[in-house]
Amino acid sequence: MSERVTSVAVVGREAPLWLAAASVQRALGRTGVRVHAVELPSQLTEVDVYAASPTLAAMHRLLGLDKQLLFKLCRAVPMVGQRFSNWARNAPPYVIAYDDEAPAGELPFTSYWAKAALEGLRVGFEDFSLGSACARLNAVPVVGEDPGPLSASYGYHLDASAYAVLIKQLALRLGVEIAGSSVREVAATGDAIEAINLADGTRLAADLYIDASGQDAVLISRLASAQFESWSQWLPCNRMFAASSPRMAQLPAFSQISAFAGGWIGQFPLQDRTAITAVYDTAVVDDGEIAELSAVITRSAISGDAVLSALRTGRQLSPWIGNCVAIGETAVALDPVGGLPLHLTHACISHLMTLFPATAGEYQEADAYNRAIGSFGANLRDFQAAHYRLNRRFDEPMWDRVRDVSAPAGLQRKIDMFAARTMIPLADEESFDEQSWAALLLGCGVRPQGYDPRVDGIADQVILQKVQQRLRDVASIARQMPGVEQFLALEQPSPALVGG
Amino acid sequence: MDNQVEEPLEIVVLGGGTAGWMAAAGLAALLPASRCRVRLVESEEIGIVGVGEATLPHIKNFNDSLGIDEAEMMRATNATFKLGVQFVDWGFKGSRYVHPFGVHGSADSGLGFHQQWRRSLDAGRDWDIQEFSFACMAAQANRFDFPATGKPTVNSTYSYAYHFDASLYAKFLRRLSEPRGVIRTEGKVRDVEQDADSGDILALIMESGERIAGDFFVDCSGFRSLLLGGKLGAEWEDWSKWLPCDRALPVPTERCGELTPYTRVTAMDAGWRWRIPLQHRTGNGYVFSSRFIDEDKARQDLLDALDEPTLAEPRLLKFQAGRRVQSWQRNCVALGLSGGFLEPLESTSIYLIQIAIMHLLPLLPGKRYDQRLVDEFNRRMDVEYERIRDFLILHYHLNSREDTELWRYCRAMEVPESLQRKIALFSHSGIVEQYKDGLFTPPSWLSVYLGQGLTPQHFNPLAEAIPVNRLIKELDDLREDIRDRIDELPKHSSFIARYANAQQASDMLLHEAEGRV
Repeated sequence: MSERVTSVAVVGREAPLWLAAASVQRALGRTGVRVHAVELPSQLTEVDVYAASPTLAAMHRLLGLDKQLLFKLCRAVPMVGQRFSNWARNAPPYVIAYDDEAPAGELPFTSYWAKAALEGLRVGFEDFSLGSACARLNAVPVVGEDPGPLSASYGYHLDASAYAVLIKQLALRLGVEIAGSSVREVAATGDAIEAINLADGTRLAADLYIDASGQDAVLISRLASAQFESWSQWLPCNRMFAASSPRMAQLPAFSQISAFAGGWIGQFPLQDRTAITAVYDTAVVDDGEIAELSAVITRSAISGDAVLSALRTGRQLSPWIGNCVAIGETAVALDPVGGLPLHLTHACISHLMTLFPATAGEYQEADAYNRAIGSFGANLRDFQAAHYRLNRRFDEPMWDRVRDVSAPAGLQRKIDMFAARTMIPLADEESFDEQSWAALLLGCGVRPQGYDPRVDGIADQVILQKVQQRLRDVASIARQMPGVEQFLALEQPSPALVGG
Repeated sequence: MDNQVEEPLEIVVLGGGTAGWMAAAGLAALLPASRCRVRLVESEEIGIVGVGEATLPHIKNFNDSLGIDEAEMMRATNATFKLGVQFVDWGFKGSRYVHPFGVHGSADSGLGFHQQWRRSLDAGRDWDIQEFSFACMAAQANRFDFPATGKPTVNSTYSYAYHFDASLYAKFLRRLSEPRGVIRTEGKVRDVEQDADSGDILALIMESGERIAGDFFVDCSGFRSLLLGGKLGAEWEDWSKWLPCDRALPVPTERCGELTPYTRVTAMDAGWRWRIPLQHRTGNGYVFSSRFIDEDKARQDLLDALDEPTLAEPRLLKFQAGRRVQSWQRNCVALGLSGGFLEPLESTSIYLIQIAIMHLLPLLPGKRYDQRLVDEFNRRMDVEYERIRDFLILHYHLNSREDTELWRYCRAMEVPESLQRKIALFSHSGIVEQYKDGLFTPPSWLSVYLGQGLTPQHFNPLAEAIPVNRLIKELDDLREDIRDRIDELPKHSSFIARYANAQQASDMLLHEAEGRV
């Protein structure tokens, strides 16, 4: 009879380290599994930020984390989506929000909209998105006691260091033990880790090793089969700059992502400051210029210790090898556009838990994990790649180059089907639903030329009614939602009563 | 512009079997007249294969979307209800399990139920997982009722399908579709007119001399695949190395005494035998491999094994497992047997027709050719066919039978990598791979793995999070809850008699049959 996994070593830093350690401890601690964390020196500085999509709430529920702590300790600001500007010349900004999916069984609303638009409707798709409407009003789509016909979710902008500290405290309270803070050497043979020799001389051996060390890939890169696949042809930026600017007078409910000749600059509002992230291609922009460029583009004063770091997008071809599982950015390294690192970490941990090795020493589950994460990562990459591939910033070298690269097959299929029929063929392990993809592709300028022919079976009058009804619902629901500032001031925000 | 503000697409459906009439009915009902006009060409001289007579629960969605009254359809087609398929002697001699249209466990135990069940085995219980499936237990008790709706009780954990007479179903759809504008032309096709450059099909030339032109052709001509295979030369992919059965001997027998709410499928020396209870008769047949048995022996084995007296002679059908690599080429899409053939072991034939229609509807082209639509349709059908193929292969491959050559061959054969992987994962720790598109959800895979004797070596450690005593108590309670509720269900035959009794004629048959008993 093979033995159970009884010891897990997690090596990494910041939120991913502690989220992984806390999750394993919480789910399996009572079955006798011991979790040791090796906390590498944090690379976060006071300027870093996490933009977290709404899915993080599910992980917080599993971990028993009270979301009020995010507002109190992590200077969190609710975030309903991301607003993209200047990814095309002379095109208006567009928002990708987190609208909740329509009930199954009906044709997607995109089809109705597409027909109406082809027949001359001048109202953009965004006006039918509750999340986008909230973004315009800087409102937060909280759910009241009586859920209306439409709903949307929100994530957060979080101070990264404060969030990492919060999750660390949670992990320790759950029983995670700290084994050390510096790795001297990873003892590995072939595709197996034998032990981690720590700087203080202790030797940490475990049945299962989790690599949450980010781009360093401290553990998995030591294994014989480890192989990193670069995605730089689709996600061309190779440098990241982080800084701060003063708090905005009125807090927006969205991240602002503005493209420029060499990449993009993001503004992420927090309660006490605005986090600035610039992601760019060093072939176009000098590191020396980026601080000033950021100030000019965001029209704000850049302050704080600005930090530069290398960015390398791609993935581990096999994120789980032998007794070592890579999670989050160690498994899939994305462009920071879209704020996905915590989502990625969360998804990897969820998959690891449902596929948690049944025995120490066999790890057949790796195959299923690698397939799931492979598909999951490729879908996220495609979502990001669309921004670049479909840019319309002509006559700028980086943008011209990335527009000429052929799109990954999954993305091309979505573009084709959206153009042909306003349909999004979703794959396995998708993070974004049809509506988010539709917002993305429309924002990138893909214009539907047709729609599901079944829509023609519905009387024009009915379609018109559906379209008008939705427009009214979006507007009236959005108006009831509390503003960001009001939301932050309340303990239990709820939709306002529509009074006379 | 792709397909707006155009003349309606002229669609010609060739063939009036189940596939043809399902296609015509679906297109006519679900698309407006402004989009298409549907014409169906069939000949009464050409026999209908009548692909299987058992369906999957999806058929209800199809019927509902066409506005079909369930009881009326059931009366018209001599239908009975179906809660799953019972497999006898599969995996090993003496085996007996139901692949249910439902989950194992309570409504809220989710996909982890079998992990908990597996854990209970280590704790010393030897119960069968079927005891925790409402659909399995109801089927085996010959009882039926509609699933409960609105509350998450254990009697809401299943769906159902039908056994029906497929040729009567085709007739029913015809009666429904002609008033909705489908134009039917009786006669045989003499020739097919094609565009010399593109290969597009332009028209069917009938023996009467009539020329039936169209923009888009739906080939439902059965095994002959007159248009897609015959005229467009679509490539055939042979899967017989995995699915070696290539013959079938269908034979009807009298109505069975007690109507089983399941299809029974019994493994034989060189294939398998189906038994499908209808209101007026029982459908039977032996699907076998001519490599492992000759026709006469197969016929004898079939006749020896039947439960009820025959109503006709068995007639031989020949086929090969496989499919057209692209079931849509140029302006022609093949549905049903003209696009591919997979033996009806899991009642997938009618499902494959239905799903092809459902994939075709949103992708139906305009008058101009659009490669994007063709590619997407073919990609979707690839997924459908491959999922089913793997699931069927699993039934053959996962066996420990030593008694005949077919079973030894199937156990030893190399299976597709996509299946090998799935089996390895389940065998290790009960992981059932999930996918978004295509048939067969985890409960289906689970029932075949376990039913054919593959018990996972281990289980997910998360299952140990609750104390074992509590787990056993919960399972005990669930098992009892299912038993109690099933005792209260009506018998399937009385449910049918009340809800959808076919005709006086069948009542007479019933009395006759009962008289003999």
